[in-house]
Amino acid sequence: MSDDTETDGGTTVDVTPEEENLVDRLVAAKDGERFVAVAAFVGVFAMPFLLIDVLGVFDTLIGLSLGGFVGLPTLILSFGIVAVGYNILLGYTGLLSFGHAALFGSAAYAAGIFSNNVVASPLLAVVAGIVVATLLSWPIGFLSIRRSGVYFAVLTLTFGQMLYFYAFGPGSWLTNGDDGYTPFDVAGGPDLFGSLAMDASITTLFRDVTGLTLTLTDGLDMTVGYMLAALVSVLAIVVAHRIIKSPYGLILKAIGQNEQRVAFVGLNVFRYKLMAFILSGVFAGAGGALYALSKAGLTVHPNATLYWVVSGDFVIITAVGGVGSLAGPLIGAVVFEYIRLVVQGITVPGTEFQIGSLWRLLLGVVFVVVVTLFPDGIYGGLSSLGDRLVERFGAATDDRRPVEEVEETGGDD
Amino acid sequence: MTEMSSILETDGLTKRFGGLTAVDDVDLTVESGETRAIIGPNGAGKSTFINLVTGLLNPTEGSVRFDGDDITRQEPHEIVQQGVSKSFQTASIFPEMTVQENVRMAALAAERGSFRFDFLSRRDRLTDVADVAEEKMRAVDLWSDRAVDAQNLPYGDKRRLEIAIALASEPALLFMDEPTAGMSPEETDATVDLVEQVQRELGLTIVLVEHDMEIIFRIADRIAVLNRGSVIADATPDEVQGDPDVQEAYLGGVEL
Repeated sequence: MSDDTETDGGTTVDVTPEEENLVDRLVAAKDGERFVAVAAFVGVFAMPFLLIDVLGVFDTLIGLSLGGFVGLPTLILSFGIVAVGYNILLGYTGLLSFGHAALFGSAAYAAGIFSNNVVASPLLAVVAGIVVATLLSWPIGFLSIRRSGVYFAVLTLTFGQMLYFYAFGPGSWLTNGDDGYTPFDVAGGPDLFGSLAMDASITTLFRDVTGLTLTLTDGLDMTVGYMLAALVSVLAIVVAHRIIKSPYGLILKAIGQNEQRVAFVGLNVFRYKLMAFILSGVFAGAGGALYALSKAGLTVHPNATLYWVVSGDFVIITAVGGVGSLAGPLIGAVVFEYIRLVVQGITVPGTEFQIGSLWRLLLGVVFVVVVTLFPDGIYGGLSSLGDRLVERFGAATDDRRPVEEVEETGGDD
Repeated sequence: MTEMSSILETDGLTKRFGGLTAVDDVDLTVESGETRAIIGPNGAGKSTFINLVTGLLNPTEGSVRFDGDDITRQEPHEIVQQGVSKSFQTASIFPEMTVQENVRMAALAAERGSFRFDFLSRRDRLTDVADVAEEKMRAVDLWSDRAVDAQNLPYGDKRRLEIAIALASEPALLFMDEPTAGMSPEETDATVDLVEQVQRELGLTIVLVEHDMEIIFRIADRIAVLNRGSVIADATPDEVQGDPDVQEAYLGGVEL
């Protein structure tokens, strides 16, 4: 999907050499597909090191470990992917869905059920999760999008809760109800391509392939499972970038701003909204399946997947990180999961007091502070800071912006 | 259908809101290539009439034919796709998009239909869309402002952007709802010139709702006068000016 060699063609600015400037060139490249792919790749593979602080950098500098744990990055990615897709719906199209837990959760169960009953392939489980979430998002979207505003939100919420109660009670034969479902409940754990155990470390993999022994500190090591999650995430980010740069990016943004006018230029608003919903469902499916993978051998519970609070979490992740941007939802996922899973376990220094279930209170404070200070989320705040730096150090002036826009269209022919 | 050259025909078009009949049994024929004005006092049903034809409202009774095809009760986007476009009275634009993105939205729809499954294609490679958009931006003299966010345009420019969006839909028939409302005399002049120019160059049929009599007598080929939802006159400007019914119902207090 991203094997496009002319990637930069669209955004290259035709300027004379004396106008060129490193800052400007970086700004010009920032929107390119190749840049997004590389940044996503670096990001997902650097994240475990930063969060788990294996090198003890933060420990040395500020005497405080970030305290991440091995499973955290996978959870961040699974929620991050959902939020990236959710942003297409909320940030662009302006549709506030409270039902994405239904899509996320169904995909998690689908991936698990598929792996236990059909074939225990992690890759195919991801596909199964995506297929189920996509098929489910069609009728939910079709029925909900006919209403707008609050009614849309409540309808999506209703569909989500219907699935939650089904999974909890009547559907227990399938989901194991309140006891939780164990995905990849297979002897010896799930394998990738039939031979790679998902919990195998990359050092083991390296040894098996090359016969050489590689020694890494524990934290620097990564599991095969994380690499799969990381690669799926990179692909998801590149696809999301493509969608944003396709006609859909413009049309969905226009629908968010002035729906009636979109109809009056001759576009079928309903079908585009439905597509936005289904596309966000595809991402929710990928995220849900990765979530199930991270729970291999553990359990998937309706409260953590299908419950409406999870839908609210996707809203918070997207809003805190920054709606309308590609990186925002991912940043939001890092912040959210970090507070939920790490800060929760912190004992306030000098006391016996543990944050514990107060994490939601803390999250609420973070949400209020971020949304008050930066209406466009953390990423919005960072990028307006970045704009100011570019203004300061870049040669770009306002006069040149139109030139860029023109080249954007004509650059490829 | 009876006349080869008619582009729009309404037959017994009626819209009731509860007990109020906003549009009452209107038979109106618009000839291809003409500039037709619709005038009438406030509440005469002008806007309702436009909304019925362009699909925002469904008529209670009657039918609308465009270019020989029945378009009654079609969705707005279907009607636009057939070649009926509308410029709104209050600039209905996309505020947080650039001028260029605004116009390209309309060009996208005109060039590529009402829906496409192309979410992985790159819109910066749609040169046909870019070309149409550029042509329309130049036509309304907004080309140099193409990178400006629409919300930051001065009022008159927003209205011109509105017209550019309507033109980028590549209509055969364009409804203009008070295109000069709220404009300064200079802006009004420029806009009237623009309407005349696009009418001439693109061979458009224009249906114009306007209050400014000077503008109407300058550009309209024929004038339909609505009063309380009914057409009370439908003739050339000179004939309308001399029509006693019109004088009494509508123009009584107006200096012509």
